[in-house]
Amino acid sequence: MKNESKPLHWSFDHNYGAQKIDFEQSLLKALNAYQSNIHNNGSNAETKQNEKRVYQILPNTWRGYGGRNDPLSIGKVVIERKSNKNNVWNYNVKYQNTTSGEDIEFTFCCLDEYYLPLHNSWKVDIRNTSSDRYSKLSVNGYLTSETAIQLSINDTEFKAGTVTDSLPLTCNWTLLDVIPQIAKNRKALDSKHTIAILEDLEYLRPKCHLGFLDSIKYPIPLDGYFLYGNGLLPSYWWIDSNDQVVVVSAVFETLVLQELSGNTS
Amino acid sequence: MNKHPNILFINTDQHTWDGISAYGNPYLHTPNIDLLHQNGTSFRKSYCTDPVCAAARSSWVTGLYTSETGVPFNGGQLHPDIPDIGQVLRSNGYRTFHCGKWHVPGRNVRDNFEVLYYGNRNIGAGGAAYYDSASTHAVADFLTNYNDKEPFYLQIGYIDPHDVCEYLHNHEEKHIPNPLEQGILTEDDLPPLPENFNYDERETVIHRVCRRIDGALIHDRILQAVKNWDELHWRYFRWNYYRFIEKVDAEIGRTLSLLRQTRFCENTVIIFSTDHGEASGSHQGFQKFALYEEEVHVPFIISCLGDGVPVQKEHLDEKYFVSGVDLFPTICDYAGIDIPETCQGMSLRPLAEGEDISWREYAYIESNYWGRSIVTDDYKYITEYKPNDIEDFIPPGPDSEQLGLVQLFDRHNDPFETVNLVDSTEHQEGINSCRNKLLEQESRLNRREIAHQNPMRTISNWGNRLREYWKHGK
Repeated sequence: MKNESKPLHWSFDHNYGAQKIDFEQSLLKALNAYQSNIHNNGSNAETKQNEKRVYQILPNTWRGYGGRNDPLSIGKVVIERKSNKNNVWNYNVKYQNTTSGEDIEFTFCCLDEYYLPLHNSWKVDIRNTSSDRYSKLSVNGYLTSETAIQLSINDTEFKAGTVTDSLPLTCNWTLLDVIPQIAKNRKALDSKHTIAILEDLEYLRPKCHLGFLDSIKYPIPLDGYFLYGNGLLPSYWWIDSNDQVVVVSAVFETLVLQELSGNTS
Repeated sequence: MNKHPNILFINTDQHTWDGISAYGNPYLHTPNIDLLHQNGTSFRKSYCTDPVCAAARSSWVTGLYTSETGVPFNGGQLHPDIPDIGQVLRSNGYRTFHCGKWHVPGRNVRDNFEVLYYGNRNIGAGGAAYYDSASTHAVADFLTNYNDKEPFYLQIGYIDPHDVCEYLHNHEEKHIPNPLEQGILTEDDLPPLPENFNYDERETVIHRVCRRIDGALIHDRILQAVKNWDELHWRYFRWNYYRFIEKVDAEIGRTLSLLRQTRFCENTVIIFSTDHGEASGSHQGFQKFALYEEEVHVPFIISCLGDGVPVQKEHLDEKYFVSGVDLFPTICDYAGIDIPETCQGMSLRPLAEGEDISWREYAYIESNYWGRSIVTDDYKYITEYKPNDIEDFIPPGPDSEQLGLVQLFDRHNDPFETVNLVDSTEHQEGINSCRNKLLEQESRLNRREIAHQNPMRTISNWGNRLREYWKHGK
């Protein structure tokens, strides 16, 4: 077993045999950049009106999924959100993955409530950078009622599911802000939270469960949360003392926070 | 409207027959594959030709068994002179499109298909998390834009639930607590252990050497990891497997939702199948490669969401033995193309339309070059060829003198294959009958020498290990 002296938590320790490049070093490098960043710019836990976060995407398995001579990272996610002062957060998320070849931009807004529920309409713009026939796609979505999701692709409209049991509907990218909010309420750790998630603003996961997983000291003090549901494999979300999700690990990839900026005006 | 329908072949990877809620599995929810079943005919006795990706896929695209294609395991290479389904359809008026996983080594998918999406690094065996939703995007783009007069053939190779392999790889070099220790799930959330978790250890040598012994030829690191699992780990493995299936079901749902809104809905026949199954804890196994039911028994559905293609709706056929070699001739039949005489399969179209026709009485399956199986209504017969002293690189058979150990299971009284009846005097006739069927089937095969260096090396290495085991029992 590797890392016996300072083991990464099993949920994001991806240093096993199929990993060619040292996963732990890549993860620490990104985290160190983030920590230098907040050291220089200040970290305060106060909610900012404009925020920008950059996550590196590390493949949990390098072989076959990473470039031949590249560093381990296979892309990045840039998440920006702004408050419009009408209790609405406007999100813009740019996801670039050099393995899939897709560059995806998610544009959506959420109400400033506990679970940051999706609000109004949203848009997903995708560019495929690989050389095959499919080069781009736009997906537009909206709620036809409080519960029914409608999507449209190239003017073809179709239903994409209905939220049941009056669950709040949020998006996986919004969870980066929802989970720290839940974590502030220590009582919330005692029970699971059940929510509906519109994954990547396209796939409704109607019943997802969120709960406390563990606390760790290495590589930095972190509190971990798990998320799973129908059609949603467990993923693990780790929050630091600045109320930032710094590591998100799913079956195939791990996001590591590298950069944080924002202001309160 | 075209005389011949559009053909949409949707395939998943490593998806056992039982992994569909419409067939009664209460531990997962697959509303979209269920929809295909409700709008079509499912085949209960459907088997892959070989329980591993590349081999099974080589049969799909050629209508031949894997000892004929040159791909008797993942490292094989398709013989260059064998035409694939893309070639045949293209020369008969179809536009042929591919999207997602291909995994037929030795044949460039771009030779005979217009490729909608194949990833930035050309999709290999796994990676559903990267590729499946992108494949759906590519198909969405296609379905909402295709405007040509020619009918289309579109094959979509989804990767999930194959990513369960990565779930397993994750356990190779670290201890992951069971889900109760993790605090994620309760026991009530987990599916039970399979009824055949415990198994009869009288297995073939090829299976022991490939999958059971220390230093096993295939994925020994995972084997060593699962030896440390408790019951909850095994049940959690099954639970995760079902989530992977639900994930790919959602991708299929997106494709079907869009298809329904297009003009192609009425005149598109949809074929759904998978390359092979998943052990998912049965016989304390994981992944594929073995000839047990969970690994070779796969879904096969012929469906149409409209009324333009005649097909029996919500019909579960329990009579006919269906094989992966039947995909090629079925597609040819729908496309109005004569089925080549060399093809080993038969068109399922008459069966989907409700005709009662003369059909094969068993399924024939190959595995790991030397492994063989015959499935009849009464028995599951598993055997193997012993490796030659000097390897000739011609896939073995039919040769009764060279057959090795046998496993025989009573499909009526022991559907989970837990008691090997090889020593039962009562069942010797069953063994003889199955062996004769095996030899008869193999006499009809055009087994061809493997001439590519990489698979030759694999055959040599594996052959050495097998000879060693036959000689020294280890």
